[in-house]
Formats: sequence, structure tokens, C-alpha cells
Amino acid sequence: MAIFNIKKREIECKVVYYGPGRCGKTTNLEYIFKSYKKQVEGEMVSINTEGDRTLFFDFLPMELGKIKGCDVRVQLFTVPGQVQYSSTRKLVLKGVDGVVFVADSLDVRREKNMTSLKDLQKNLKEYGLNIFKIPLVIQYNKRDLQDEGLPVMSVEKMEKDLNRQLKAPSFAASAVSGDGVGKTLQECMKLTLQALHRQFNWSKEDNG
Amino acid sequence: MNKRIKTLLKQAEVYKKQGLLEDAKVEYKIVAKLIQNSENIQNKDKLLSAVSKKIAALARHAEVVASAPTTPEMSEHVNVLIKKLFSFSKDNKNVSKEEADLEGAIALAKFGQFDAALKEFERLLSSASARLPAAKNILRCHVTVDSSDLAFAQLDRWKSEDLFSTEQNETLRTFLEGLLEKKKIKKGPKPAEVPSPEKEEDAVGGQPPEPETITEEDEEAEDISEIENEKDDSDEEFLDISAVAINFDSGPHAGEQVELDVSFQSGNIISLIISSKDESLVKNLKVGSKLDDVHFYSPIAIFRGSGIVSAMTKIASGPKQGDYSLDIKIESI
Ligand SMILES: Nc1nc2c(ncn2[C@@H]2O[C@H](COP(=O)(O)OP(=O)(O)OP(=O)(O)O)[C@@H](O)[C@H]2O)c(=O)[nH]1
Ligand SMILES: [Mg+2]
Repeated sequence: MAIFNIKKREIECKVVYYGPGRCGKTTNLEYIFKSYKKQVEGEMVSINTEGDRTLFFDFLPMELGKIKGCDVRVQLFTVPGQVQYSSTRKLVLKGVDGVVFVADSLDVRREKNMTSLKDLQKNLKEYGLNIFKIPLVIQYNKRDLQDEGLPVMSVEKMEKDLNRQLKAPSFAASAVSGDGVGKTLQECMKLTLQALHRQFNWSKEDNG
Repeated sequence: MNKRIKTLLKQAEVYKKQGLLEDAKVEYKIVAKLIQNSENIQNKDKLLSAVSKKIAALARHAEVVASAPTTPEMSEHVNVLIKKLFSFSKDNKNVSKEEADLEGAIALAKFGQFDAALKEFERLLSSASARLPAAKNILRCHVTVDSSDLAFAQLDRWKSEDLFSTEQNETLRTFLEGLLEKKKIKKGPKPAEVPSPEKEEDAVGGQPPEPETITEEDEEAEDISEIENEKDDSDEEFLDISAVAINFDSGPHAGEQVELDVSFQSGNIISLIISSKDESLVKNLKVGSKLDDVHFYSPIAIFRGSGIVSAMTKIASGPKQGDYSLDIKIESI
């Protein structure tokens, strides 16, 4: 539900980071906040509970500059991953234009990834959105833990688990060090803006 | 110390650090078992007691996490932000400012910020277009925080102030009674430990409320009768399963994982065709055989579950003559 202001030639869209509890959604936004100072518009707001778990959401507003003659703003959100915050997750997802699904590469989180992806599909569906059609990027996070000898799933296995049919662009990442974080966001922005461009056809407005 | 134990302890530490408390606990429990069963470990008791201390500390930590308030009061700054971010119609020219504000106020209530939400709803009573929904939401907030007395007092006050028409007053009373009725019903059976995903309705129960307690679809009182009839598992229609991977634990393929495509699905029954050259796969199966470890590939993800063989026939004619048709009833996903 992006907002497109024809007069001011501004577009504002919403990208939501989704995924199971503790998979690294907030860490993604923290890294973006630290590393993209120029594009960040204001402060990052995190509403947390005990142990830095997200309670309501994280919010990070960014200003991406002019794209096809239009000022593009994006609001990045994360949802709380903990199972019991189901309705908050749905509320935060409202009006979403693009989704980054962050999956946890740890072996022990395999089922949690799948359940969360199913939860995403269900919540999108309740807003009349289709997981196959919405701009979606999958991130396999915590790859660094493999080097530490922890039981981590292979990217191939995760692709098979989560992306066998979705066939969404996917990236390996380590949100603590920032590896793959920028790429994930860039790809999601690209897909989101392409979709919005198709919807609003804004560059044509230039001639009119 | 045993190398495996060391590895497990390291894993447990990492999981703990990441807040994966349940996963850490599982590792510690395995460690405890290993120590117990091991013959050649010295000071077994000391080690065991150290591990159980770790487990106890995890349990305490988990308790703190679980008992943290789910809807703590937020600062004014956060509430202003919530209002702004969740009034989606604020830039829509066809929606009045008050109606957009109403969305923001509903979001506040959904996040459990009842005082701030009430203030907004009260302000919105002065707007003709938002008045009735604002009033309904005021009643809803009172009911949600268990102050139905306040809700009735509020109704009486509105009546004496002539804020609403007689008909509207009646609508509001019916609405309130409906809310209370629904709450009574919800309070009845003990709520499940993890609340099942709710529709857009009040999640009022005996448990600490989840932030979402207010519905947006508060148009008419009739909505409530629908809410009462709402089935919790209405979304549990069966997923499309495109393939399965069966882990055999006995028979000629014991220990193997065999992947098979689903040729047809009807509800929770999936049909597989097994080629005659793979006959050995069905050797040990008969109607009623239980498959305890099956991966079901759905369009969005793989789910682990179990199934029961509900039919098995050798195809007698046609291009697949000699192949087997195997029906599996999905037991749990
Ligand atoms: N080693 C490693 N740790 C990570 C990585 N990403 C996140 N973490 C850690 O995982 C834990 C959880 O990270 P968060 O970003 O808070 O996870 P979240 O998805 O926001 O969790 P919820 O808010 O509970 O849903 C923290 O301890 C992070 O430091 C990563 O790439 N590598
Ligand atoms: Mg978080």
C-alpha cells in the first residue's frame, strides 16, 4: 500500500523483515542503520521486550533519492518473531509492499523457518496478497556460525526447504558482520520498486 | 573431557547467547545424559551438578522472558509514531482526516496503549464521521481492560448528553452487550498456551492480552454474531503437497529417504505412483501402515509429519500397468 504523491512526485513504500524469533531481523536493520547513514532519514526506533526481543516492531525510515524522476522513501519494519506475538506480526505487515524473509541457518531452527514462512503466507493471504506475487527476497542468515563449527544447514538444503517453489532471489548473509545485508535490501528494493512502477507507471507522468 | 561433550557445550553457549533458550536447554540435557552414561569421566557428580545449574539458570531466564509485560506503556513519542505509521489512509484524499486518525487510534489500542487510545477516541467523538466508531472503540477498550462498569457508565453519560440519537444509543448498548457476551464465551475454556492466530478480533482471554485487542471491523453490531461462530482453525485447509520424502525405518529401505512425486491430492489424502521397478519400496507397506517420518513438500515449504497408508493397489491396466498406486492419509503436519 505505497503512497504515491503525483504532485510532489514522491513515493513512500513499506518493506517488512519477517522470519522466526531470533533469526536476525533486528540485526539486519541495525546494520543498515549504521552503514547507510546517508540514506537513513532520522532515527531507528526499536520497541523491545526482555532480552532484546522485538515486542512491537523496529522501524527505520530511509530516503533513497530520485528514481526515474521520483523521490523514493522506504519504511523498513521488522516484526516480532516470537510465536506468541502472532497478531502484532499481522498488524505490522499491513500495507506491505515488499518482504525480506530472514531464515536462520542453524540446524536447530529448521522447523521454525518453515513455520514462519507458512505464517507469512497466511498473513499475506488475509490481506489479499499472494506470497508468490509479492516482491520477496529470502536471506539465509548466520552463515558465519558455520566457521565456528556450529551445526548449520547448507544453502542448498535451505533452498530446498524454503525456496523450492517460491524461487525468490536468495542471499547468504551474516547480519552481525553485515555480509549480504546490503545485497538483500537492494534486491528487495529493486523488486518492490519494479512492482510499484508497474502499478503507478510514474515515469510516464514526466511527459504528461 | 569427551570431545563430543565439549562441542555440545559450545553449541549450548552460542544458542544461549542468541536467546535460543529452548535449543540451549536441549543441548545441555544431552550433555547431562552423556555424562551420566559415560564410564570414564571423573568427578561425574560435579559435572552433572554444573550442567543442571546451567539448565536451571536457563529456565529462570526463560521465565523472565515469558513473564515480561506484553503491552507495557509506551512513551508519548512512540505513541505518536504508532499513530502516524498505522493510519494508512492519512494521504488518501477520499478519507477524512478523522477517519484516518481513527485508524491510528485503533492501532494504539491494538498495541495495548489503551490510555492513549481512549484519549484519541474521545477527541474523535466530536467529529460526525468518526463519532459512532469512536464510541464503539471506547466501549471496546473498557471491556478489554476489564472495566465493563466504566463502559456502562459511559453509555449512560452519552445518553444524558444527547450525543447520539436514540437509535444509536440502542446500537451502542447492543454492541456492548455483544462484547461482554463474547468475552464470557472466550473466558470459558482455558486458553491454549500459545494463542492460536486470531482473526481481527478482540483477543481477550484469561492470559495477559496480546497487543491486538481491538478490531477494525467495528462497523455494525451484527459483526459480533459472526465473531462468536468463528472457528479457530478456519485456515487449516490442506496445503497442496507436490512431493513427499519418506524416511523408512524398517524393511528393505530402512534408514533411507525416498522422494516421490504426488500425482493427485484430495484433501488430506495424497496419491503416489510407484513404478514397478521400485516395487521393493512397497514391500513392507500395507493399508494401515504408519509412516512416522514424512517430509511433505508444499508450495511454500517442507513440513515434517506423519501419514498412514490408506490404500494400495497394483495398477492392472493402462500405461502404468504393473505400477503401484499408494494413497497416504496425512496424519499430522
Ligand atoms: N553469529 C551470528 N549471530 C547473529 C546473526 N544475526 C543475528 N545474530 C544474533 O542472533 C540474536 C538474535 O538477533 P535479532 O536480530 O535480535 O533477532 P530477531 O530476528 O530480531 O529476533 P526477534 O525480535 O525475537 O524476532 C542476537 O544475539 C544476534 O546477535 C548472524 O548473522 N550471525
Ligand atoms: Mg527483533
